[in-house]
Amino acid sequence: MTHLSARGLKKSFGTLQVLKGVDLDIELGEALCIIGPSGSGKSTLLRCLNLLIVPDEGQVFLDNVLLTNPRIRPEWVRQQIGMVFQQFNLFTHLSATKNVMLGLRHGKKVSRAKAHEKAVFELNRVGLGSKLDAYPAQLSGGQQQRVAIARALAMDPKVILFDEPTSALDPESIHEVLEVMAQLAKERMTMAVVTHEMGFAREVSDRVVFFDAGKILEQGSPSEIFDHPAHDRTKSFMDKILR
Amino acid sequence: MTAVPTDLGRRSPPVPPPARVRAARPPFPSRSLRRAVPIGTGVALVGVAIYVIVGLLGFYGVGTLKTPLAFVLAAAVGAALSVGVVAARWLDPKWAGRILTWAVWKSVLQAVLAVFGGLVFLIGLGRLGIYRLGFAESQIPALLKGFYTSLEVVAVIIPLGFVLGFLVGWARTTGSLILRGFAAYYVDFFRSMPPIALIFFASLAAALALRNSGIDPYTAYLITQWVGVVALAFHTGAYQAEIMRAGILSVPAGQTEAADAVGISRIRTMFVVTLPQAFRISLPPLGNEFSSVIKDTSLLSVIGWFELSGTALNLVSEAGRPPESYLYGSIVIWVEAAFLYFVLTYIVTRTVRVVEDLFKVPGLEAAHL
Repeated sequence: MTHLSARGLKKSFGTLQVLKGVDLDIELGEALCIIGPSGSGKSTLLRCLNLLIVPDEGQVFLDNVLLTNPRIRPEWVRQQIGMVFQQFNLFTHLSATKNVMLGLRHGKKVSRAKAHEKAVFELNRVGLGSKLDAYPAQLSGGQQQRVAIARALAMDPKVILFDEPTSALDPESIHEVLEVMAQLAKERMTMAVVTHEMGFAREVSDRVVFFDAGKILEQGSPSEIFDHPAHDRTKSFMDKILR
Repeated sequence: MTAVPTDLGRRSPPVPPPARVRAARPPFPSRSLRRAVPIGTGVALVGVAIYVIVGLLGFYGVGTLKTPLAFVLAAAVGAALSVGVVAARWLDPKWAGRILTWAVWKSVLQAVLAVFGGLVFLIGLGRLGIYRLGFAESQIPALLKGFYTSLEVVAVIIPLGFVLGFLVGWARTTGSLILRGFAAYYVDFFRSMPPIALIFFASLAAALALRNSGIDPYTAYLITQWVGVVALAFHTGAYQAEIMRAGILSVPAGQTEAADAVGISRIRTMFVVTLPQAFRISLPPLGNEFSSVIKDTSLLSVIGWFELSGTALNLVSEAGRPPESYLYGSIVIWVEAAFLYFVLTYIVTRTVRVVEDLFKVPGLEAAHL
């Protein structure tokens, strides 16, 4: 069953067309990886899916609800679709627990006690039960990113979008973050991951999308894309990164 | 362990339940009251600092307060404060810990010591015969009256200027072209006007407007006086607007993007994400601006305010003849006025320091060199 889908997404920044008509379907409970060269528009695509960037043309549907309808509040849309950023973007003036609580308190208007309970639960879930009161500046990169994942999870999103979640991390931290994400995939959380971690894409994802120059070039199971790419551009990309 | 949130859908929680989350705290009527106690105590602390200073002046037979009464009152307030501290600790450890830290006590102690040291210095000079102590003491009651007037004016200018600066600084960072344009004109205009011209102009324009209005002359006079004060608040507001703008711009775009991503509205994001971080950056320059505008209040003497400088000017003109005593008198009076300006500025800048401590973020302290 198609959960989140995009139809004909187009987006330009000035004269540069970043998305050139993208159709994408994400199934319920699917872990989808989006790979491709830098600057191909992967991040823009993710941001268009939760309307952090409003697409120039095209539609986004969540469970057959048209999200790009101007009568739908973008705040509501973003509460349904979680997002994890490359640079973590934790609120630097708040402790880990408060970071996770903020969206619940001020987005979903949940009571303080309930939000606190939920925040503690989600932080334990990502293995940070001992860092509840730590501030972002006191945490390592991997820990910060796990707080960011807990922050997204706390909203009970229908989909989580990961925008290169490990690109700003050292190898050890990459491992701890990927472990949390693999666990989420195992629990059948619907997720779309823009990543350069080919090992993760190959092992954990259900489907891989190869994205280049604002278009989806090809998609399929990890083995199809990694071992038998159909397109020349995909082949040359794989040759460069899998050597 | 409390119940796990039920709205988790099909996911199964893989982790053990968390241990006890918060230390148990005795019940108390309401959260706002629990917070009000330590905040109120903080405000009272500043009040006591002022009171002790005035009391010390009273000890040397000056000012309006009788010595024993001043000290009894100061002691009473101090005792009440101690009770407040204990109560606040018991009620909410976090807030009490944050507000009533050593930093606060240190500030008060430093303020008292600085003022006391200054007094000992001045009186010491008098005892050494550098100037006539009797003359210096005789000027203090009038100067203290000027000091209170300055305090009164500052108490209007700083809050008003802060609110203006906050709103205009915010307006300059919004997407609305109208707000931005209006705010830019405001800043450009009030930053380029010399404050003395601004005060004259505002007060004289008010006088002109009220000339045939039928308001009784004394009320009209008071209005023109206070219009001059408001003009000075607009002046400092322009500077504070730029400080606020710098603070707001220093918060990375990723912060608002993250707030967007969890569905917090723009206006709430401003209050819960951007401003707390902007304030942390803006507070030191704001303290700078506060201390600067305190001394700008001396310009109000040109429209007839008998605040500290106006009083000093008046006293100097009456300091007496022959010429050499006039020279001595002027020096003594201005040293005393400067000292009182120092007290006024010190109270405000120390308060800003305490607020800075409140906005401190662990892990983001300044570099230790």
